[in-house]
Amino acid sequence: MIKIKNNIKQLKSQVIMASLLVMAVVMTSCDFEFDLPEEGSIADLTPPTASFESKVSPENNLKINFTNLSGSSTDYVWEFGDGNSSTDKEPSHTYDAIGTYTVMLTATDKIGASSSVTGEVIVEEKQVIKPEILEAGFEDNTLPDGTGDGRDSWRNDFGGVIQITSSPVNGGTQAAKFPSAGDRVGHQEVLATPDTDYILTYYYTMKTSGTGNLTVRVLGGSISDLDEADGATLASHVGTNQDSSSTYVKVEIPFNTGSNSVVGILITNEGVESRVDDMEITIK
Amino acid sequence: MKQIKFLTLLILAVFISSCEDDFLSPELVSAENGDTYYANDAEIETAVVNIYDGVQGVNQLELTSSGLNYGVQNEYYLTEMRSDNTRTKSSEGEAAQFENYTLESTNGIVLNYYRSYYNIIFRANTVLENLDAATDSGKVKFEAEAKFLRAYAYFNLVRLFGDVPLVDKLINPADTETSFTRVATSTIYELIVADLQTAASGLTDGSKDRASKSAAQTLLAKVYLTLGNYGDAKTLLESVMSSGFTLQDNFVDLFYTERNSEIIFAIGYEASDVYNSQNFSAEWLNAVGRTSGVNYVTDDAVAALDAMGGNRAMYSYRIDPAQVTQHQVVKYLPNGDEDLGIPVTSGDPTSAGNDWIVLRYADVLLMYVEAVMAGADATLDASAIEAFQKVRDRAGLTDTVTSITKQELLDERRVELAFENHRLFDLIRFGVAQEVLSAFSSANGYSFSATDLLLPIPQSEIGLSNGVLTQNPGY
Repeated sequence: MIKIKNNIKQLKSQVIMASLLVMAVVMTSCDFEFDLPEEGSIADLTPPTASFESKVSPENNLKINFTNLSGSSTDYVWEFGDGNSSTDKEPSHTYDAIGTYTVMLTATDKIGASSSVTGEVIVEEKQVIKPEILEAGFEDNTLPDGTGDGRDSWRNDFGGVIQITSSPVNGGTQAAKFPSAGDRVGHQEVLATPDTDYILTYYYTMKTSGTGNLTVRVLGGSISDLDEADGATLASHVGTNQDSSSTYVKVEIPFNTGSNSVVGILITNEGVESRVDDMEITIK
Repeated sequence: MKQIKFLTLLILAVFISSCEDDFLSPELVSAENGDTYYANDAEIETAVVNIYDGVQGVNQLELTSSGLNYGVQNEYYLTEMRSDNTRTKSSEGEAAQFENYTLESTNGIVLNYYRSYYNIIFRANTVLENLDAATDSGKVKFEAEAKFLRAYAYFNLVRLFGDVPLVDKLINPADTETSFTRVATSTIYELIVADLQTAASGLTDGSKDRASKSAAQTLLAKVYLTLGNYGDAKTLLESVMSSGFTLQDNFVDLFYTERNSEIIFAIGYEASDVYNSQNFSAEWLNAVGRTSGVNYVTDDAVAALDAMGGNRAMYSYRIDPAQVTQHQVVKYLPNGDEDLGIPVTSGDPTSAGNDWIVLRYADVLLMYVEAVMAGADATLDASAIEAFQKVRDRAGLTDTVTSITKQELLDERRVELAFENHRLFDLIRFGVAQEVLSAFSSANGYSFSATDLLLPIPQSEIGLSNGVLTQNPGY
């Protein structure tokens, strides 16, 4: 009977020992290691593919907008070919000068796989319009269709229509005349390129009696009332040269178009009968 | 024994004689079927009407089973809500993916539009392959209508998805190559131009909710503008401008008088008609449709309409009467607005009858300006200014126009055609979408990038294609 009891005790201690051993094994096995298993893992089936397109900004010929067309990637490095770089997904870059640049885009994913692509970006000279003033010399039949009375293009709602004079003139056989009452206004809009320097050239002469001026303004965009003229003026010249009523004086008004693709030419006078002839806008 | 031999021969004879073709493929006599149905003009015309039915789509509040096509009724999600004009009211669910520029290729609204528009193409191809039985005059008209609608569907698909599968005939399910091979946009445009040329020469004017000569010319002009072919666009628009269309005197009337003088092509709906009503008017209200309110007007659009819309502003958006911090579209109200003098047009707003305007005369006038401008920054052309002035005069903006810049034209299109699904396409066509939408997106905390200008090809189509159909970049 005692022997049996001893045997049971012995068994019990063996069971406890075994349990401890199992526990120890289980506990030590809790040191997990996070190595990715070799067996059963699959290759990266969708590695990054770098791809992009570029387009010139409508506002600035030196500024290029990039479109990122890369796939399966999260991080990007752009090298713009002029020493500058960016890590934005979809950057814009403004170059300092025109030329051809080799742009490299490297697309990377979060496991370090990457793909690169290069492309050429051509930064071109801005296409500048030479503004065309209609009936710039106030001559008959000089509209593009061969008609016109020399002042059709200058009519407007701001004042009476300008008069035409045949003497004195600067060039051709006619010039514009603004009587001393100052109630005649010449206005015309022309197309121009934004952010561009131009020079408006014209000739004027004034009678020697009385006091007043002949004012020519270059306006940015359209106006619907003369009150808006001051606010829209890009540049202007107030002519007061009354040395001779028959000798024309040359004026040059340099201006920058700013954001405007349309500029207006506004001619007004005060107090003195004045004449204007041969207007032209040239690219500076 | 002899009898058995005889019997065997008899049975054999019976079996042999029964082996004729029609024994195995008998004619269906108990119901009409596609193989034999299209036998005369009247029957072919039902197939033509069926194409319009595809564009019309089903009212999701009336017919709720899955797998139905919503057609043009869901188009605002894919166009206006991806522009700076509209958004969801509460920025929830897959509808908000459009305004946030976080579209997933699993988006169900995109999938429904894709399937709807290919279904329209299928319906058009069905007509085109069954023209043999038509009379000569019927044939010309049916072909023209089917090609107009097929071109309309492809023009939208190609602008929304880029390269898409080109299906110009009836195909069977096994033809996976045609179904899933993406074809270059330039090739798709060749089909669109050819179809619209056929349509314009085969149609006459007179119909507003079915294709007409002017509708085909207007749509083709828009295609040409998109392709940068300004000269041909101008010629077509001049033709439409001498076809008797006029602007409505009052802006609001053009939306609430069906088939008025300004409408060139509209999709017709009938109020309180299970099969021919629409639910988009209800969805744009506050929790009247199945959404809590979508196509709500952005602050950006409110500011643009206030600044440049003239008397169009009050008939374009209003303060949501149920939630005064929000703004709703006014152009297609089903249940009227007493303050604005807009009558109730649908007793039950969820079963609305407001037609969807696809092409109207103000669009033609502004496209004409665009054609004259021909990609330049501005124009001083007298005929362009006259067209532009007409649109502005009607809006109460009667200052004399002396020049039009590209920006002024884009702004005018925005306020004239707001919420009519033009804005996104206009921004893309004018070449300013990336800049405008980037700025709009960062001002509102959205995540626009240039690849968002194309929608994802629906994932379920890619799945069905066994890897043949490829995804657009960025998705």
